Amino acid sequence: MSEKREFSWSVIFIWIGLFTIGLTAIYSATQGPVSQFLPTYILDNFTRQATWIALSIAVLFGIQFISPRTFQEGAYIFYGVGLVLMVITIFFGVEVSGSRSWLRIGPINVQVGEVMKAATILAAASYLTSRRNVSAENLKTALVTVAIFLVPFILLLAQNEAGVGIVYLGILPVVLFWSGLPYGISVLMISPALVGYFTVLDVRLGIIMALILTVVIFFLQRRTWLTVTSLVFGALVIIGTEVALHQILQPHQRARIETFANPSLDPLGAGWNVIQAKTAIGSGGLYGKGFMEGTQTQLRFLPEQWTDFIFCVVGEEFGFIGAGLLLILYAALFMRLLYMAASHKHPFAQLVIISVTFLYFVHFVINIGSATALLPIIGIPLPFISYGGSAFLTNTILLAICLNLDFNKRSFSIYR
Amino acid sequence: MATQNNTDKVRTSIKVLQAIILIGFFVMLVRIFQLQILDYETYSPISMQNSLRMEVLQPARGLILDRNGTILVENQPIYSITITPARFPMDKLPLLSKILEIDEEIVEQRIRAAQAYSWHRSSRLFAEVPFEVFSAIQENSWQLPGIGHQLESKRHYPTDVLGPHIFGYLREASLEEYRADDRIRLGDRIGKSGLERTYENYLRGEIGTQYVRVNAFGQSLGAYEGAGLNVTPVRGSDLITSLDAETQALAEKLMDGKRGGLVAMDPQTGGIITMVSAPLFDPRKLAGRMDISYWRDLNTDSTTPLYNRAISSRQPPGSTFKPFMGLVGVEMGLVTNQTQIYNPGFYLRGRRYNDLADPGYYDLELAIAKSSNTYFFWIMDRIASRGRLNEWARLINDFGMGPLNNIDLPSERSGIIPDSTYMNSTFGERRWGIGDLMSLGIGQGMVSASPLQMAVATSTLANGGYKVQPHVVTGIRNGSGEVQYTRPVLEKITWLRDEDVEAVQKGMLRVIPEGGARWRSMIPGIDIAGKTGTSQNPHGENHGWFIAYAPKDDPQIAIAILTENTGFGSQSAAPIASLIIEQYLTGEVKRQHVIDYVLYEFPGQRATSIHQISEQ
Repeated sequence: MSEKREFSWSVIFIWIGLFTIGLTAIYSATQGPVSQFLPTYILDNFTRQATWIALSIAVLFGIQFISPRTFQEGAYIFYGVGLVLMVITIFFGVEVSGSRSWLRIGPINVQVGEVMKAATILAAASYLTSRRNVSAENLKTALVTVAIFLVPFILLLAQNEAGVGIVYLGILPVVLFWSGLPYGISVLMISPALVGYFTVLDVRLGIIMALILTVVIFFLQRRTWLTVTSLVFGALVIIGTEVALHQILQPHQRARIETFANPSLDPLGAGWNVIQAKTAIGSGGLYGKGFMEGTQTQLRFLPEQWTDFIFCVVGEEFGFIGAGLLLILYAALFMRLLYMAASHKHPFAQLVIISVTFLYFVHFVINIGSATALLPIIGIPLPFISYGGSAFLTNTILLAICLNLDFNKRSFSIYR
Repeated sequence: MATQNNTDKVRTSIKVLQAIILIGFFVMLVRIFQLQILDYETYSPISMQNSLRMEVLQPARGLILDRNGTILVENQPIYSITITPARFPMDKLPLLSKILEIDEEIVEQRIRAAQAYSWHRSSRLFAEVPFEVFSAIQENSWQLPGIGHQLESKRHYPTDVLGPHIFGYLREASLEEYRADDRIRLGDRIGKSGLERTYENYLRGEIGTQYVRVNAFGQSLGAYEGAGLNVTPVRGSDLITSLDAETQALAEKLMDGKRGGLVAMDPQTGGIITMVSAPLFDPRKLAGRMDISYWRDLNTDSTTPLYNRAISSRQPPGSTFKPFMGLVGVEMGLVTNQTQIYNPGFYLRGRRYNDLADPGYYDLELAIAKSSNTYFFWIMDRIASRGRLNEWARLINDFGMGPLNNIDLPSERSGIIPDSTYMNSTFGERRWGIGDLMSLGIGQGMVSASPLQMAVATSTLANGGYKVQPHVVTGIRNGSGEVQYTRPVLEKITWLRDEDVEAVQKGMLRVIPEGGARWRSMIPGIDIAGKTGTSQNPHGENHGWFIAYAPKDDPQIAIAILTENTGFGSQSAAPIASLIIEQYLTGEVKRQHVIDYVLYEFPGQRATSIHQISEQ
């Protein structure tokens, strides 16, 4: 069985490129000329991130020696342990700025919600590919899959980490779609998000979007009940969004949601970050202001510049060229991973790689979308770039698993 | 087949997923292209403004100096706290109030006022906080976004001279003043009275601006040396006055606790040597952070300390009017300087007007020396009987009584020299007669003047017939040290003849040695030409007047003084005037007993005084 085994070095180079950009940006955001006003725990961010990266490099290569089957077989155990840790975190976690999502293990704090992403992806993939003919077409299978994602999502809500939770909801439709959920229903699954988004922008856009999606669903799957459901869904989402915005939410909450489209609604509150983020990126121009020269960054006009708003640092200091390079690196990574999935024979491996790709992609879209005011601000990190040890390690582990599966694609047989 | 189907499905699904990712990638790419390339011109300036903050550099206010270059008014540093309301989160109010040691309610009130002015520009939250509070604010500035601090200055009076009515005081500009002048920022203190007000535009200087790099918390990160953005402040010009510090200090001490006004000036130039209005007030309590209760007291005090009696009060000049009356009588052809008029002890015209001077014949010189009423009633009788009132009024006006003399101080008031128009408007057309005019001849009744007007009139006698324009400031010295001097304005009173003026001067020289003032107002070696007066006051004790100039051959000082409710001028006003003349001409006062008399035995002396207050 053993043939020429190829390790995907291109992915490693992209990975190195991304975390190098990340380290540079973190350094600039925390060690700049005016870092004197920053508290020490932030000043240490660069060193800590470098340490985590060093650890992650070891982990990445270490994982290559594990048998690919282990991931499949251990998936439920990881998932179970993960859930237990999540529950423990809810009660005994360390509370940081309102959310209780950190668990202290010895000298280090671990963000369990991040690690849980890996376990959830593996568990879902394992479940959906455990037997032949298990397909998301089957309602029961689909519901179990939804449950696998929903349980950690609910626990995250309990930890007050809705931002991270959204990622779970983001990759669920992709997982189901890949596993055989009919196209029409897949589109239906993501339609509430799209219709809701456009309704917030403008209710007329929301209506147009709902109609377009209904037509798409009709052509994908000529089922009357599905088309009607889509239409009803769309209408409900539009009405729900409008009622929520204008009746239920307090003006300041509404402003928080709407400011990404119109920051001047609340220029000093929720709109502040939107304005400052756009200003940071926009003022970078083509070449950027230079390393450690970005005034928006160095003068602290944005909170969390080393995590949620790190794209602004890159955009401001390295300009369109730097930010564009970052986007290209991501696109290359995603396309490379998708190619890996397509060329793999094993459905478990395919599903894991697809899930990981879209896990990154959802982070990518939400983070950069927030920073560029295409989306409401949702505080989640940019994979491999943002400061955050747990997230970096988890993302690296997932990447390592993908590399492992790809590396062993010939020996990792469908047949036992 | 199943596998083939499966492979096809995988291919399609992969294509869908690839499409999604490429769409995501291109959306982001287009978005950053839009922000960074297309909208660069929009965002670049915003980021510049974000990181730079304009700070106002207050110029040093000009100094006020006396004639010898002694600094009378200077500046002292005070520390102020500023706020940019847009940056300040109201939940930090308790912390701010704690650091400032000021009630939350008051702090909040001040913040609202600042908001009303501008959300985005910094304005003064509190002026003159103690240094400890200032440094506490500095230390905590990282947790007080929008709160800044500023080093400013307040007026300081380094000598014994307080001169509240000369210098005036500063107060925060009102909203109207701020709107009327774009050089004034809200919260700026501007001159509200005295020289501070008249010369506000010179003293103020020009504010400078400094651009400072700041972070989002508003913390200053050092000066920004950008191209030509910073403007150095231009310090205010200094005022060089004709005041004499030591004489002024003495005058304030002597007038303290009394009521009245005093003006001494150089009869050759019109420069004010000394000016006091009593009761005085303490300008130190109005400098910097104003003592509110003191301010309220000043405004409600029945003796009206804020009122400048020296240039604003109107009192009948009494017998000090006689020298001018005599000269006008000569000019109107009613008498000559030789004419003798018999005084039987009274003058009869409709009723009996008493004359306290000894009976006998009086010429102009003697009438002034002995202050005979009859001589002047006689003249007034003829003026009134022949309908020459307006001619009389015009001639009196020439001495500087009546119309404004345009001194460089605010709130000067004109005197009253009644003419027919005035009488008509007071009594009604043809409802006044000779009886109403007789008392004008001896400076009583309707005629009234301020000490300033009497001092200007006295100067005309001292300098041989020139009306001078009174002024406090003789030169304005700009920041680079160039002085622009004001030229004295003298106007010859053409109708005055030297021999007539000499007769009057001779009479005035005899007033002190031969009258009731001789005990306390004679200065060994200096001949003072003076005239006492008592202003009849229907509401209480009469007011004392004294006008004088000295030395007789080369007059260097002309003085007019009014002391309210102190009876005869010879016993009240004259001793004070003599002390001021002695101090000014000799540089010291040898007659300590006269000072003691003025300070402790003076009629109507008030126990409380500014010096006692300031020593507390």
